[in-house]
Amino acid sequence: MIEGKLVDLVPFEDDYATYLESWMNEEAWFRAHLWERREPHTEDMVKKFIEKMEKNERGALIGFQAKNGDPIGCVIFDHEWSRVRKADVTVVVGDTRYEGTDEALDGLLMLLRYCFETRSLHRVDAVALTFDEVKFDMYERAGFAHEGTLRQHIRYDGDYVDIEMFGLLEDEWPGYETITEKLGLQPSGLEPKPKLEKKDDKDGAKDNDKK
Amino acid sequence: MAHSTDSGHPLLEGLLVDLTPFDKRFVELEHKWENGPAAFWGDMGDRQFFTRDHLRSRRERNAAERENDSSPAVTFGIQTKDSTPIGLFVVAYIQPAFRTAILGAYIGEPEYWGGGYGTDALLLVVDYAFDWLDLRRLWLVTMSLNARVLRQMDKVGFTMENRQRNATLADGTWYDIVMYGLLRDEWPGRAAMLERLNLWPRAQATKG
Ligand SMILES: CC(C)(COP(=O)(O)OP(=O)(O)OC[C@H]1O[C@@H](n2cnc3c(N)ncnc32)[C@H](O)[C@@H]1OP(=O)(O)O)[C@@H](O)C(=O)NCCC(=O)NCCS
Repeated sequence: MIEGKLVDLVPFEDDYATYLESWMNEEAWFRAHLWERREPHTEDMVKKFIEKMEKNERGALIGFQAKNGDPIGCVIFDHEWSRVRKADVTVVVGDTRYEGTDEALDGLLMLLRYCFETRSLHRVDAVALTFDEVKFDMYERAGFAHEGTLRQHIRYDGDYVDIEMFGLLEDEWPGYETITEKLGLQPSGLEPKPKLEKKDDKDGAKDNDKK
Repeated sequence: MAHSTDSGHPLLEGLLVDLTPFDKRFVELEHKWENGPAAFWGDMGDRQFFTRDHLRSRRERNAAERENDSSPAVTFGIQTKDSTPIGLFVVAYIQPAFRTAILGAYIGEPEYWGGGYGTDALLLVVDYAFDWLDLRRLWLVTMSLNARVLRQMDKVGFTMENRQRNATLADGTWYDIVMYGLLRDEWPGRAAMLERLNLWPRAQATKG
């Protein structure tokens, strides 16, 4: 675990894997993975995605949660390019109640902290659909520069839409402590979701067998 | 005209070059090209040491991926009119849902750079991508140091859409990665481009 101001980064396991089955079929996911074709994600595909990310030597899937332990979503860095120390970063706010909150922003800041201060990256890239103002706002507050627009790059609900491209360099990153202080992050005070019921708890089943 | 298997089967015929299958003549040369200066420019400043084995398994992996992949690719060999293989052209990452693809090319033999061969090939491939593959947007990625490509993009009417600052390192200096895009309704067609760029007389001069 890496502890931040409003959120903590944690290994992507347990409840996260269960939540991902719904997150991967929601708007926030498709907007974040805009290069991919929109199609339903079955339980099996979700499992395969998690496995793929576990084996991925150029990226990682990381959970982020509020200070009360409530899972918010995932942060992803991928396509890490070791020669030029560059990677793509993505934040998926799975629990939509947190959309646009400082917890979501802190998820991004924690990912940047990890990229620059732990993985020693030189540069990170981020993308957003042209109408995704919540994302622009988040990238801007985190210090990204808008570097360009790929015109009509994506087919989106009957239209061809632009993709906005953002970048942030190592020497533009003031450090996690400094930037969080400057931004004065405020908790949203959302109630945690009710705990998930374990659906196939293998250990539990074994215990029952013993009885 | 009959072609022996050693001289390639032109699929697309240009003024200075023909585009053919990437046959064994090209495969032979790939090792030299991938370890030479074209790869430095094509890979945005990277210099790698490729063994024949590595290149073979990469080709096999790519072929396998393309067979069951959702984003297929088309690879051409570029040869001169006298059937000398000089490079390759790839229409890659074809996204059927978006009707986009990324273009990639190099001329592996540096003595052919700057002579119009690459532009001749590009015009053929753009027409092919729009008229045969029914794509509606083409894009490509290069580094800001690559003046030949920047000049070529400008000439042919691609728009610079994105500039990733300090995104690649070439011989110890950071350069931007630049991305270019061309939409189908911006493309006047190859014939009009040949006219506009005055390529007929230039081709005569180059050949002569
Ligand atoms: C990119 C490449 C395929 C272009 O093909 P080419 O045959 O060299 O290109 P062309 O001659 O048709 O056009 C290049 C233009 O750049 C100009 N040019 C050549 N050398 C130049 C230089 N050093 N600086 C600026 N412009 C230059 C040429 O004069 C020409 O413009 P013009 O028609 O107005 O005279 C070829 O140069 C190549 O393989 N380069 C190495 C690999 C590479 O860069 N691949 C592309 C990665 S995106």
